[in-house]
Amino acid sequence: MFKTPSHIMLVDDEKDFVEMLSLRLKEIDETVIPAYSGAECLEILDKQDIDVIILDVKMPGMDGIETLKEIKKQHPLVEVIMLTGHGTIEGAVEGMKLGAFDFLFKPAEFDALTEKLNQARQRKHDQLERIRKAEAAMLLRRAKI
Amino acid sequence: MVDEATENLIRVLLVDDEKDFRTVVAKRLGLRGVSIAEAAGGEEALRQLDASPVDLIVLDVKMPGMDGIETLGRIKERFPNSEVILLTGHANARDGVEGIKAGAFDYLSKPVEIEHLYRKLVQAHNKIRRSLDEKREAAFRERIKQQMVVAERLAALGTMATGVAHEINNPLAIVQESAGWMQQILAKPEFGDMPRKADFDKALERIHRAVQRARRITQQLLQVVQTQITEMPDPATLTEVDLHALVQECISLVEQQARLKQIDIVLESPDPPPIAWTDPYPLLQVLINLVTNAIQATDAGGRITLALRASVEQVQIAVQDTGCGIPQSDLSKIFEPFFTTKGVGQGTGMGLYVSWGIVTKLGGLITVESQVNRGTTFTITLPVKN
Ligand SMILES: Nc1ncnc2c1ncn2[C@@H]1O[C@H](COP(=O)(O)OP(=O)(O)O)[C@@H](O)[C@H]1O
Ligand SMILES: [Mg+2]
Repeated sequence: MFKTPSHIMLVDDEKDFVEMLSLRLKEIDETVIPAYSGAECLEILDKQDIDVIILDVKMPGMDGIETLKEIKKQHPLVEVIMLTGHGTIEGAVEGMKLGAFDFLFKPAEFDALTEKLNQARQRKHDQLERIRKAEAAMLLRRAKI
Repeated sequence: MVDEATENLIRVLLVDDEKDFRTVVAKRLGLRGVSIAEAAGGEEALRQLDASPVDLIVLDVKMPGMDGIETLGRIKERFPNSEVILLTGHANARDGVEGIKAGAFDYLSKPVEIEHLYRKLVQAHNKIRRSLDEKREAAFRERIKQQMVVAERLAALGTMATGVAHEINNPLAIVQESAGWMQQILAKPEFGDMPRKADFDKALERIHRAVQRARRITQQLLQVVQTQITEMPDPATLTEVDLHALVQECISLVEQQARLKQIDIVLESPDPPPIAWTDPYPLLQVLINLVTNAIQATDAGGRITLALRASVEQVQIAVQDTGCGIPQSDLSKIFEPFFTTKGVGQGTGMGLYVSWGIVTKLGGLITVESQVNRGTTFTITLPVKN
């Protein structure tokens, strides 16, 4: 499959988990940026272009839902996949309402994760495409006037 | 106003040695809708009561052979729920008082005024019905109380178990990703001829399978919590469910397993089939759990009966087997998470715990009755849409 170069951020307070999942994703040639808290996630977003964020719901301090709200406020085009425990599906539902792309139960099957990742990436790509077209149309109209 | 009790048939055994008296009283009470059996003496009365019990007895005190007071004692001893009205001789109140001490409901002196006797019969009849109702109600309350005790314990256990499940999920995810990473690496072409590659693959596959197994357990535990968080089922998921069709679906899913063990599965359903207002998928999951347990508990040649019952307020699904039964000492534990009598890999002890959680969430009850070596019946009771 044709893969546009993209950047994934993985946010979880569980360092070993972040490291291992990053290694797996790198193994299939993804670029992964780790973050270990909601605050760190937002800091990185300010400095760097990110396409898809994999975000744990349950984190100490700023939790996944709060982080998601901030992400959507400051960077509405970034797609977010929530990682949730089975007992906290409310978190997932709330996340979807707040604009998350989808959610996965943790531990997630790797294949399911990569599939969601590709879909999220595709949606962001399509969204950007539409914006570009709209902007082009706008420019064209202005030029005619 | 029509008394509710008088609408029910009053059945009386009339005991008197005077045949003419019996005939007259029987005829006149019969006109008031009382059903009468007759006996000429104490022995005959006891024989008749053994053969076809009647709760109300009208008893003459003065009889040859076994007299009324003695007969009263025997009746009360053998049929403590019955009520006896004594007929005493004219101006012989002492017999009557003695009779009441011995447990008679009341006494009337001869000659008897029929209307008076009839009123007494109605009163005694009502008393019997009331005490029956009270007993039934007390038994019902006792059952509910036991259920509450079980429910509370299960809820407490659940809270702890799910805490553990949450904490285990994170390290489990790390194990899974670490093993998965190694599998990914080994799948690369440059590792094609690594020494003992097959051994590595095998070990990693085992890790993968073990993680899956642990994950199923944590999932089930957390699913029960899920059912406890929100008290009432989400109305959006409730639909009209044809229980006959649902049970049929369950049977089709387990049929093969049963056939392998030569166990018959039969479905008993009234016509028209009962309808429940409920969530079909979790309910199906419960049924599969119960029937799978029944198959595992039953030997070849056994039988599993799925019976549906419906009344105005509730519907019931009973899963009955002719299997090994559950010892009394285990009955209070089988719904606990992790309680199993099956070997490693055979049972996780989660089936009934999850089932209990689901049925509770659906606003229903799940109960069990069992006799060792005879069989077990699990009954799900669900409310009908109000
Ligand atoms: N129909 C049955 N007959 C006899 N024993 C049963 C039956 N159903 C359940 N049990 C007992 O209850 C235990 C718990 O059942 P369950 O929660 O489904 O877990 P599991 O089937 O994994 O052991 C079983 O191990 C068994 O001892
Ligand atoms: Mg079971």
